Amino acid sequence: MSADRIIHGVVRGEPITIIVDGEPLACFAGETVAAAMLAAGVDAFRSDRRGKPRGLFCNMGSCYECQVTLVASGRRVRACLTQAVDAMEVVTRG
Amino acid sequence: MADLQHFDVAIIGGGPAGQAAAVALSGHGLSIAVIDEQPRPGGQILRQPPARFAVQAWLEGRSYAPLKQLLARFQALSGITWLGEHSVIGVQQGSVMAMGPEGVTTISARHILIAAGCQDLAVPVSGWTLPGVYAAGGIQAFLKGQQLLVGSRVLLAGTHPLQLLIAAQIVAAGGTVAAVMFAQPRSAMIGALTKHPLAALRRAPDLLATAGALRTLARAGTPVLFGAKIEALTGNDRVSGAITNQGQVACDAVGLCYGFVPQSAVPRMAGAQMKPAGPAGGWACVHDEWMRTSVPGIAAAGEAVGVAGAAAAAAGGSLAGIAIALDLGLIDADAADRAARQPRRALLQHRAFAALLDAAADPTDHFPKPAGDTIICRCEDVDHATLTGQVSAGGSANAIKLATRCGMGACQGRNCEPSLLRMIAETGPGSDPGFTARFPARQVSIADLLPPE
Repeated sequence: MSADRIIHGVVRGEPITIIVDGEPLACFAGETVAAAMLAAGVDAFRSDRRGKPRGLFCNMGSCYECQVTLVASGRRVRACLTQAVDAMEVVTRG
Repeated sequence: MADLQHFDVAIIGGGPAGQAAAVALSGHGLSIAVIDEQPRPGGQILRQPPARFAVQAWLEGRSYAPLKQLLARFQALSGITWLGEHSVIGVQQGSVMAMGPEGVTTISARHILIAAGCQDLAVPVSGWTLPGVYAAGGIQAFLKGQQLLVGSRVLLAGTHPLQLLIAAQIVAAGGTVAAVMFAQPRSAMIGALTKHPLAALRRAPDLLATAGALRTLARAGTPVLFGAKIEALTGNDRVSGAITNQGQVACDAVGLCYGFVPQSAVPRMAGAQMKPAGPAGGWACVHDEWMRTSVPGIAAAGEAVGVAGAAAAAAGGSLAGIAIALDLGLIDADAADRAARQPRRALLQHRAFAALLDAAADPTDHFPKPAGDTIICRCEDVDHATLTGQVSAGGSANAIKLATRCGMGACQGRNCEPSLLRMIAETGPGSDPGFTARFPARQVSIADLLPPE
C-alpha cells in the first residue's frame, strides 16, 4: 500500500529521481524525501531492536522515526524535513 | 561551526505567534531573525506547500482566512532574515544556536522569542509502532503541505475534536476515512462546549468549521463514533486494522489524536520556569503580562505558553512583539499599553475557548491501555512492563531514564515523557518535573559543533 498524491488542483515541480537503498524512486521537485518514499510505497524507515519495521510518525521533525542517511555527506537527516533533490542518494539503514 | 550572526531580535518559530511578533516589531528598523525547521513560514497550522508546487484552493476554510492574512503581512515585511530549514539546538540568554543544511550557526540577539509551537501528544497503544500509524497532525501536515494522502482508508482515533476537521480534509481531498473514533462519550464532549455557550459563540467560525466537517463526513458516509476505544493496532509489516471495543476496523493508516503538548525542550534548556500545560500533559512556559519568561531577555508566545490554538498564538505573539519594543525603548509605556489592548482582549477570549476545547478533548480517562510489551519509548524500545516495574519501585523520571534509557534516544523524550509522567502520577500524589532538558535540543553531529579547521 502506498500513499496517494493529490492530483486535482495541484501542480508539482519537475519529475526527478532519488535513490533509496539503491533503488531509483520517481518523485517531484519540492517533495520531501519522506513524501517521495511513502508515495512509492516505501514506509519502513528503519528497523527496531525487535527487527520490526518502523515508519514515520509525526511528520514535523519531533519524533526522529524518519531519520535516513544522505550518502553524499554522510549526514543523518529527518526525511520529513529534507527536500528531495534529483539524484540524491539515501539509505535507510544508519 | 559557522560565524556568529548578530540580530536585535531572534524569533524561534515562523507560525502565527512568531509572525505576529515580527509584524508588531516592524517599522522600528530592527534586525530580526526568524528561525524555523520548515523551509517556508506558516507553522503547522498553515504548513505551506513547497515553493515548487502550485496548489489551487489551499486551505480555503473560513477559519484559516485571518491566519492567511497574517502570513501575507509577515511575508511582505522587510528587515526579516528568514532562517528556514534551521533547527534550534540550544538557547541561552542572548544567544541561539541553530543547525541548518550547512551546519551549525550561532546567533546573538538582545531579545529572544520562543514561539516553537506544539506537537501531537504521542499515545502508546499496542501496535502503534507499525508503519502507517501516525500522529494525526502528521497526516494533516501531509495534506496541507505535500498534498499527500497517507492511506486509502484512514482511521482517526482519539479524543480531540481536531480529528473531525482532519477527517473532513481527507474526504475533501478524495480520500476515505474508515471511522472517526472518539474514546469519550458524546455527552462529555458536547457537555463541555455547552457549559459556556458565550465563549463558544465568540469562536463561531471554528464551530461552524466543525459543523461543516460533520456534514462532509455524513455525506461521505463516514462513521463518527463516541465511546469508541482502540485496544490494539494490528498488522504484519504495516498497519492493516484496529481492534476496538466496538469491533474490528480495517484500515491502512491510523491517525492518533489525543491532544497537543507544547514544544518545551528549548525553554526548559534555557532554564525558564515551566508549569503543567493542561490535561494532555506537557510543559508550558510561565510568563508575565508581557509574555516575558523567568529568564531575562527571553519571551514566549503561542503554544509554548500553553496550547490554545492559532488565534491565541497570534494575539500572544503581538503582545510579545509590543513588549520587546517597549523593553528596547522604542515605544513608551503608554503606547505599549494602548497597542496591547486589542491583543490582550483577543488572548483572553481565545484562551476561554481553548479551555472549553481542553475540557471537551480531555484524554485523561480515555487513554488506551498499553500491553506489557507495548513500546512506550520508541527511540530506545523501552516497553510498558519495564517502566511499570521502575515506576512501582518509586523512581523519578530522571532515575528511570538512567535505569532504562527511556527518554534518552534521538527524540530526547518528546514522545515518551508524557506517558511516563502519567504512569508516575498514577502511583500517587507528588509532582515529577520530568526529564532534565539537555543540550542539544535536536540531534547534531559532533563535527558540526567543532570550530572550522
